[in-house]
Amino acid sequence: MRYQDAKSFRYILLLAALVFALAPVYWMLTISLKSEGDQFAMPPPWFVFTPTLEHYYDAFVTSGFGEYLLTSAIVAVTSTACALIIGTLAAYALARFELPWKLNPRLSLWILSTRMFPAIVTAVPLFLMMRDLRLLNTRASLIIVYTAFNLPFVVWMMRGFFADLPRDLEEAALVDGDSRLGALVRVVLPLVAPGLAATAVFCLIVSWNEFLFALVLTQTDAAMTLPVGIAGRVTQYEIKWGVMSAAAAVAIVPILVFALALQKYLVRGLSMGAVKG
Amino acid sequence: MPKSRRFFSAQNRRELLLPAVFIAPALAVLLSLSIYPLIYSITISLQTETAAGVVWGVQNFARLFSDNFFWTAMAHTFVYAIAALTCEFLLGLGLALLLNAQIRGRGLFRASLLVPMMLPTVVVGVVWRLMLNPNFGAINGTLKRFGINTENLTWTASPKLAMLSVIAVDVWQWTPFVFLVLLAGLQAIPQEPYEAALIDGSSRWQTFWHVTLPLLKPSILIVLLLRTMDLLRVFDQIFILTEGGPGFATETISLYIYRTAFRFFDFGYAAAMSFVLLALTNVISAIYIKFLQAKEAN
Repeated sequence: MRYQDAKSFRYILLLAALVFALAPVYWMLTISLKSEGDQFAMPPPWFVFTPTLEHYYDAFVTSGFGEYLLTSAIVAVTSTACALIIGTLAAYALARFELPWKLNPRLSLWILSTRMFPAIVTAVPLFLMMRDLRLLNTRASLIIVYTAFNLPFVVWMMRGFFADLPRDLEEAALVDGDSRLGALVRVVLPLVAPGLAATAVFCLIVSWNEFLFALVLTQTDAAMTLPVGIAGRVTQYEIKWGVMSAAAAVAIVPILVFALALQKYLVRGLSMGAVKG
Repeated sequence: MPKSRRFFSAQNRRELLLPAVFIAPALAVLLSLSIYPLIYSITISLQTETAAGVVWGVQNFARLFSDNFFWTAMAHTFVYAIAALTCEFLLGLGLALLLNAQIRGRGLFRASLLVPMMLPTVVVGVVWRLMLNPNFGAINGTLKRFGINTENLTWTASPKLAMLSVIAVDVWQWTPFVFLVLLAGLQAIPQEPYEAALIDGSSRWQTFWHVTLPLLKPSILIVLLLRTMDLLRVFDQIFILTEGGPGFATETISLYIYRTAFRFFDFGYAAAMSFVLLALTNVISAIYIKFLQAKEAN
């Protein structure tokens, strides 16, 4: 009997945590679907209201969020691709070649340490650099900065995945007359493909969600990402809650899809490879 | 020399060429976009604009000592970090222990609990502005339904409640992360120590204190390290929720640096402050890493 009580207590606690985690997001989704009358109704209708898509139309057709969405997608995909190519090569070299002067651990740690800088520390000089290069308010500036930001992460994740692979396979390929680059492309990469995909998805999420650099580097409609566009509406005097919620709801969609695809690698990625969950 | 060693070791210059070519692009990117900006930032921090032109010196750093706003922002940052870290750790550990058992629907619980931390921080800000809005927000609306007077509960607009509100939002978003890492740590603990504890007749509390916690220590240290670094540099959520206000009530160090650089265009002073933040995060992470290494050496 006592065991049963403890068990139901456990479920009640977990359910409470679940409601606490999800209710606020659900509330935002309802606001994005409510007409203005329902939005401001008191007491607030949690479940019963007439849904409308007018805010979504308003946001993405009339208010320019479509363009922000496009910028976010272009910046996230391009910077992820760059970081993956550059980072995977470096990770392979660090995992597989013995460099002199203990360079393997030293370089790896140094690369990791560049990721530990608080963003605001580099945001100030990067803004001035981009201003001097006349790259402010361009998508290129964000692609460049996000590539550098994701690179240490790619190196650390991929170094771990390469280290998990036995070396015999590459040696066999080499004996068969492959070049080292050939062995990497034809033998090793297919084997680390799941890890590579997980790393890519992490980079996509980070770039998609990033806010501070985007805020500092882009202020025009043509170069603004979705988070900056949403934030711009929040801090305006008169806030269009429905439009903002609709844009925020759309910003969540790719993240949820990615996160579902990532479940297996989530812990490893979030701890920079420190925990192999 | 075994064959594998010869294949991967670089004994002469020619064998160093390939790894060098592989690593070079990454080094170039990091040197130009992480290290060069730092050096550039140092030079900016050492310059002050005066009527007579640019003057070099440590004026920006000297100014820190007499700037009350800076020290207030520093204090806010620590209050925020310590309060949020404590809540997130205790709640995350509790949830991990609850879910580290055979229960139905565990995968679903785990996946749903992760939603908050995956969201863009800007969206988190929007979500909680909607929840906490004094006029039509869900929190006050629901409290009113239970007959509670919500007139003074203006949350992010109230000087007294604003800090509490932004901390609560951080706890909402990041407890799942602590939970996730600690759950992974718990599941990696082998069964044998528990069986030994059972045979010794330890109570559940003793088992937790003497078996679970010590074995979980590496995961705990890693998650505390990662959270502390993020908390000390917090920017996004607070920027959306309160912009540091009302007044200066929730201004943390990152927000103050942002305001100094991009509202007042005093880049030199902003750079100087950012080095204080950098030094602070470095010292704290070094302490954590010392603990971690001590653990590994045992």
